[in-house]
Amino acid sequence: MIRKILCIGVLTIAALPSWGLAADNGVLDFTAGELRRIMQHGPWPQAWSPDPSNRVSGQRAAIDFGEQLFFENRLSGSGKLSCGSCHVPERDWSDGLVRGEGMQTVDRNTPNLVNARYHRWYGWDGAADSLWSQSIRPILNDKELASTPQHVAQLLRKDAELACHYQRTFGKSPATVTDDETLLVDMGKVLAAFQETIVAARTAFDEFRDALARGDRAAAARYSLPAQRGLQIFIGKGNCSTCHTGPRFTNGEFHSTGVSFFTSKDRVDPGRYEGIRQLKESRFNLLGPYNDDPARTTAVATRHVDLVQRNFGEFKVPSLRNAALTGPYMHNGQIGTLREVVRYYSEINPDRLHADGEQLLKPLKLSAQEVDDLIVFVESLTDFRTNWKRSTGGEPSCT
Amino acid sequence: MTKRVLAVLAIALLAVPAYGCVPELSGGGTRTLEAGRYTLAYRASPPEIPLGKHFSLEIAVCANAGAPLPDSVSVDAQMPEHRHGMNYKPSIRREAAGRYRADGLMLHMPGRWDFIFELRAAGRTDRVTQSEVIE
Ligand code: HEC
Ligand code: HEC
Repeated sequence: MIRKILCIGVLTIAALPSWGLAADNGVLDFTAGELRRIMQHGPWPQAWSPDPSNRVSGQRAAIDFGEQLFFENRLSGSGKLSCGSCHVPERDWSDGLVRGEGMQTVDRNTPNLVNARYHRWYGWDGAADSLWSQSIRPILNDKELASTPQHVAQLLRKDAELACHYQRTFGKSPATVTDDETLLVDMGKVLAAFQETIVAARTAFDEFRDALARGDRAAAARYSLPAQRGLQIFIGKGNCSTCHTGPRFTNGEFHSTGVSFFTSKDRVDPGRYEGIRQLKESRFNLLGPYNDDPARTTAVATRHVDLVQRNFGEFKVPSLRNAALTGPYMHNGQIGTLREVVRYYSEINPDRLHADGEQLLKPLKLSAQEVDDLIVFVESLTDFRTNWKRSTGGEPSCT
Repeated sequence: MTKRVLAVLAIALLAVPAYGCVPELSGGGTRTLEAGRYTLAYRASPPEIPLGKHFSLEIAVCANAGAPLPDSVSVDAQMPEHRHGMNYKPSIRREAAGRYRADGLMLHMPGRWDFIFELRAAGRTDRVTQSEVIE
């Protein structure tokens, strides 16, 4: 037993000559500062609470209805597309494509929907401030479902099954609701109730973090040394955790990483700049009439968000939970693999960054082993639970 | 023992700067700053400023001898090392004479942030900066 530990010790030291780290039972000697930073990436899962701006959030009837609508092709103008066409459960609620394919190719990469309950802003540009208002956007967008409020409202009023679900969720028949937009917003809220149930499970990293928190070195040692070294780069010289903060590995805000924002030769994606503009204009934002919370408790960010020039070309910091499952990467799907993302950061060209922007991203010049380690670490944030099944199989469930 | 207590007391007394006036704000986490014609105290709510979450500041201001109370008070925060500020513009509300509340602040990255307070009166602005390190 002792010999085995010694042996592992020698091996580790031999494998890590330049790290100068004493490995004890296969756990790196993290400094107090590093341990504090590691702790900030948990615990997981986060506490769940209903969304006060959505009166049907967390309700069983709404969740079931939302699941059905999410895969309902008739919601679309063409009758051939649904949310599930791009947010494919088996692909961790993304599509594996460079850019989403709806009625047309959209400008951006399809994000996964895991942990959507917890975001402050939705979309790469944060143009929506709630999950329900974000769920309305693709219904109306010409390139996505290309539908209209009239189309959605009529479908709801005329189809017995959908009307039955509406009655069960809202306590009245959709035929009694004369305003099309009201029904459209209700559909956004029902879709949100369903998506709020999509939460990533615990990962190898979470087991490691909690073992460190308990002081259980034996359990912590089950987390591979490459993953631990990658973690150390992530919170240390890589500076990654300055933007990819907290239990979801994102600060929920917007930054420029120098990824091109040209969508074609002569067209640019203004990112956050246009996102804030659209947010402020939208009737569906949390300051508008459709927020179900009279106190507007979740509207602080919307009320105070500030549009400045540097927002041009900024995009949302994506969560890294399950990122290993959802390539291609970045807002425009420009980078194919995690390895290329890490290389991108390693070789980043400071000239491509905003001249007046952050002095944060510098070429890291990582060694081949450091690149490998960082990838192993990001992979360790994956829950590998992609076997989600529809609860009804799609057959009528309301009569 | 007694000597040590005395010594600590003496140091504490020496360490307390003499402010021109005493703002009406106290309790854990309160910081008091000299700001030209004014003395300003602030306290965050919640008391420990959270990373990446919105928080508020309670602010109290008093005028040093002879100065009028400010017409307006503002607060902003900057990250000098990254050369950017907040993504949010705080709103400030006067709650009573010399008492203000700023809502909607959010520090979205760990590191050093500078709070910048500006107090305006009679066509002049007094400004004071205070650093906080957010983890
Ligand atoms: C054509 C493919 C496509 C379809 C169809 C589609 N989406 Fe999306 N979805 C995307 C893309 C691309 C984005 C990023 C949009 C942006 O940044 O503006 C996105 C973003 C989102 C987000 C925000 C995620 C985040 O992390 O910010 C949510 C939530 C969402 N979609 C839900 C839905 C719902 C609900 C439907 C059906 C009503 C739907 N989507 C239909 C491609 C699609
Ligand atoms: C300045 C803030 C910042 C820092 C520092 C940073 N990132 Fe990012 N990261 C972002 C933003 C913003 C994006 C999205 C950029 C875009 O879409 O144009 C992103 C995207 C990513 C993605 C793609 C995820 C996806 O779903 O598309 C990965 C993986 C990633 N970062 C990992 C890292 C690693 C590893 C490091 C450290 C070497 C790091 N990041 C440092 C802000 C940052």
